[in-house]
Amino acid sequence: MLRLLIGRLLAAIPLMFLVATLVFFLAQANSVDPAGSILGLDASGEAVEAKRAELGVDRPLLTQYGDWLSNAVRGDLGTNWFNGEEVTTELKDRIPVTIALAFGGLLIAVVVGCSFGVVAGLKAGRWQDRIITVASSLGIAMPNFWIALVLAYYFAVKLGWFPAVWPPGGPEGPLEWIEALVLPSVALGVAASAAIARQTRSAMIGVLQRDYIRTALAKGLPVRRVVSRHAIRNASIPVVTLIGFQVSALLGGSLFVELIFNIPGLGSYGVDAIFRGNVPALLGFVMVIALVVVLVNIALDLSYAWLNPKVRG
Amino acid sequence: MSTRQRVQSRLLQNKLAMAGAVYLVVIVLVAVFAPLLAPHDEVLATRFQDILFEPSGEYWLGTDQVGRDIASRLMFGARYALFAGVEAVSVALIIGIPLGLTIGYFRGWVDRIVMRAVEAVAAVPAIVMAMAIIAGLGTGLTKAMLAVGLVYSMIIARLTRAEVFAAREELYVDGAIASGASNRRVMFRHVLPNVAPALIVQTTLLFASAVLAEAGLSFLGIGASSNQASWGRMLRDAQTSIDRTIWPAIPPGIMVFFTVIAFNVFGDGLRDAFARQARGGRVGVGDVQAAASVTGDHPVRPPNTDALVSVRGLSVVFPRPGTGDDVHVVSGVDLDIGRGQVLALVGESGSGKSITALSLMGLVPDPGLASAASITLDGQELVGMPFDQLRGIRGTQMGVIFQEPFAALNPAYTVGRQVAEPLRYHLGLSKAAARQRVIELFGEVGIPDPATRIDAYPHQFSGGMAQRVVIAMALACEPKLLIADEPTTALDVTVQGQVLDLIGDLARERNMSVLLITHDLGVVADLADDVAVMYAGEIVETGRLVDVFTDPQHPYTEGLISAIPRNEARSGDLATIPGVVPSPWEWPDHCHFADRCAHAVDACRQGPVELRVSKSGSSRCVRLGELELAGVRA
Repeated sequence: MLRLLIGRLLAAIPLMFLVATLVFFLAQANSVDPAGSILGLDASGEAVEAKRAELGVDRPLLTQYGDWLSNAVRGDLGTNWFNGEEVTTELKDRIPVTIALAFGGLLIAVVVGCSFGVVAGLKAGRWQDRIITVASSLGIAMPNFWIALVLAYYFAVKLGWFPAVWPPGGPEGPLEWIEALVLPSVALGVAASAAIARQTRSAMIGVLQRDYIRTALAKGLPVRRVVSRHAIRNASIPVVTLIGFQVSALLGGSLFVELIFNIPGLGSYGVDAIFRGNVPALLGFVMVIALVVVLVNIALDLSYAWLNPKVRG
Repeated sequence: MSTRQRVQSRLLQNKLAMAGAVYLVVIVLVAVFAPLLAPHDEVLATRFQDILFEPSGEYWLGTDQVGRDIASRLMFGARYALFAGVEAVSVALIIGIPLGLTIGYFRGWVDRIVMRAVEAVAAVPAIVMAMAIIAGLGTGLTKAMLAVGLVYSMIIARLTRAEVFAAREELYVDGAIASGASNRRVMFRHVLPNVAPALIVQTTLLFASAVLAEAGLSFLGIGASSNQASWGRMLRDAQTSIDRTIWPAIPPGIMVFFTVIAFNVFGDGLRDAFARQARGGRVGVGDVQAAASVTGDHPVRPPNTDALVSVRGLSVVFPRPGTGDDVHVVSGVDLDIGRGQVLALVGESGSGKSITALSLMGLVPDPGLASAASITLDGQELVGMPFDQLRGIRGTQMGVIFQEPFAALNPAYTVGRQVAEPLRYHLGLSKAAARQRVIELFGEVGIPDPATRIDAYPHQFSGGMAQRVVIAMALACEPKLLIADEPTTALDVTVQGQVLDLIGDLARERNMSVLLITHDLGVVADLADDVAVMYAGEIVETGRLVDVFTDPQHPYTEGLISAIPRNEARSGDLATIPGVVPSPWEWPDHCHFADRCAHAVDACRQGPVELRVSKSGSSRCVRLGELELAGVRA
C-alpha cells in the first residue's frame, strides 16, 4: 500500500509539471498587455514600461517561465497583478470554501447516486428502474447553474429557508456553514448523482450475473446480505473510477455555483482572473484545481486497491 | 440483413431515441427559419415600458429585464446552440481522430508522449481547461467553443486510440499489413470503420456537452456577447432580475435541458443499436412453482420416499431471446437420488443439466421459470416453500460445486472468510470457532498449509486448489446432498482425477448423496452408482451405472459411451455424435434426438415419446427392445 502511494505521488510530479507548462504558455498567448490594462488607457508610455518592468513581463518568456516554476515549486505562486497580494495567500483563504462546496456536492452525489443506482440495478427492467433511469437522464441534462438559479429563487428569495448569498465575512460555526452550503451543494450534486446512479446501475447488473453471486445464494444467504456483502463491493470498483471524474466535474461546476451564490471560492477567483487577464492568479487557480484533482485520484487509486485485492498483488 | 440495416432498424424501433431525433430536427428547422418564425427581432431595442412582462399574446413567453421578447430570443438561441455544438464537435473530431489514429497505430514513444499531454489536460476540469485556453485566445462565442473543442479533442483522441488498439489486435489488420497495404490505407480503410460506432455515439454525446458548455461559458460572460441571444446569455441576463422574478430563466433553461436530453437519448439509442445484445439481470432467485401433478395425459409418479431426493415433473421455461415466447428448456424431468448414492446426470452442453440442478436449489436464473409437481429432500417438500425457509435448507442441507472455481469465488474477499460465511450465518459459530472449522475443512479437502492459506485471496490459488476451496465451502454445513456441476471441466487434466477422487471419498466418509453433472461419461465411471442421461431438456435413459454402461437402452447413450476418450474396450463405430444439441426453440414435438440418431425410423417422428421401463431402468426410445446398442464391454 505504501509503495503504491509513493509510486502514485512520484507519478503525479511530471503530470503537475506538464499542466503547469501547458497552462503557462496558453495563458501567454493572450496579446493584451497587462500593464496597459492595469493602468488604463490614459497612462503614459513610460508608466506602462515601468509597470511592465515591475510585473516582470518585459523579460523573455522562458525566463518568466523558469522563475515562475522555481517559485511555484516552493509554494510561491507569485503576485496578483491587479492588487499586489500574494496569490498563494489569496488562494489559501478560498481553497477551504471550494473544497467544502465540492465535498457537499460529492456527498450528495455519492449517497443519492449509489443508493438509487443499487435499487435500479436490483430492479432492472421494472418500474423502479425505469423511474430512476429517466430521472438520471434528466439530472445529467440540467445545467448546474440553472438548478442553482431556480433553487436560489424558490428556497432563498421566496421561502427564505436558506441564505441567497454567502454571509458577509463568511459563515461562522458549523450550522451557518451547513446552511450556506445546502443549496449550492444540491445544485452542484444533481448532475454527479445522476452520473453515479447510471454507472452504479450498470455495474450492479453486471455483478449480479457473476457466478459468485450464485455461490453466495447457494450458501443460503439472504438476498440482503448477498447484495450488501458480495455485490456492492465488487460493483463499486467502476463507480470509484467514475467518482474520480466526478470530483473534477464538481470542481469545474463550482465555478458557476459560486458565481450565483456569491461564494468567495476558487471559482469566482478564476473567472475574475480570466476576465482581467490576470496571469499569475489564473495560473495559481488552475494549479490548485489540478493538484486537488490529482490528490483525489491518488486517494481513489488507493481505495481501488482496497476494493480489488488483485491490484495489491 | 447487413449490419447497417440492423442498426437502422433497431434505432427506428427505439421510440425514445426517435423522439430525440425528431426534437433535434425541429430545433434545426427553428434555427434555420428563426428570422421568419420569430415575432420580434433578436435584439429588440430596449423598451423600458415592457420590462419583465408576463407571457401574453404579443410576447408569448413574456419579456426579459430590458423588455426583449423571450420567445423570439429562444428561437435565435437555437442558432447559437447549434453553431456552438457544430464548432466544438468539428474541432474535436478534426484534431482528435487523426491524433488518436496516429498514436494508436504507431504506439511506442509517439503514443507515450501524446498520452502524457492528454492526461495533463484531463487532470484539470474540462471547463477550467477551456477557460485557460480562452484566457489565451480571448473571449467570444467562436473562441470559447474553439477552446471547448480543443478540450474535447483529447476525449476523442483517447477514445480513438483505445479503439484502434482493440482493432489492431484483430487478425485482419495484420493480414492487411502482410498483404503490403500502406499505413495510411490500413488506418483509413480497415481501422476507421471499426472505430466508427464508438465515435458516432461519442460525437452525439459531445453535442450534448457542447450545448451545456455554451450555456455555461455564456452564463459566465466569456461566451456569447450581450447582443447574441444565446440560451446561456439569456440565463445570465435572467440572473440580474432574480430578486424580482425567476421567469426569464425558465424558458432558456428548459431549452438547454431538452436539447441536451434529446442528444443524450439519441446517443444512448445509437449505442444500444450498435451493441450486440443488451442484457438485463437481477438477483437470480427463481423459486420453483407448484405444477399440476398431471403433465399431458400421464399422471406424475408419486415421489420415491426411500430416496433422499425425489424430483417429479420438473419443467423450466425461458423467454426466447428476441421474441420473448416461452420456450421449455427442461421438461417433465423425474429424478431419484438414493441416500449415500452418487447419481450422474449426463448429457452434452445445452441439454438442460445445469438448469435442472439449479432448480433443485431454487436458483433458476432470471428470467427463467421453474415448476415441478414435487421436489422432496429427505421427506421435505421444497416446491412452494417460502424463499426464506428454502434458503435455510439451501445453506445447510445442500451444497454445490460449480464449474469455474475462480468465477464462483468472490475476488474481493479471502477464501477463509467466504468458507466461514455459511458457518457463521447458519450455524452461528463465533469468528474464532468458524476460523478453526475452516482450517479443519481445508485439511479435509487437501489444501496444504491451511492455517496460512485461509487468509489468501482466490487469485492466489491454482485452479485445482481453488476448486478445493469451493468444495470446502459446499461441505461446511455438512449437507446431505452435494450438487457438483461439471466440477472438473475447467481444471487442468492432471488435477481432474484428484478432485473427482476427493469428491468420491468425502461422499463415502459422510454418507452424503451426490448429484454429479457432467458431459463426460468417462468421468462418472469410477464415481457414480446411478446414471440419468439427459438430452434436449428430457431424461432419455436412467439405470444403474453398470447396466447403462454395458447395455445402453437409448441410441444417445450409446453415442456418449463411444465418445469416452481412451475407451479401449469400446465397441461399435460411432466415435462422436454428429452435430450439436439444437437450441430449445428448435426442439421437435417428436423424439428430440431423432434428427441426430443413426437408428431413427419414421415411427420416431410420429409424436412425443414417453419414458418407458427398460430391462434395468428406463428409456425414452421408440425402438426400445428392437435395437442392439453397443456399450462398454465388461
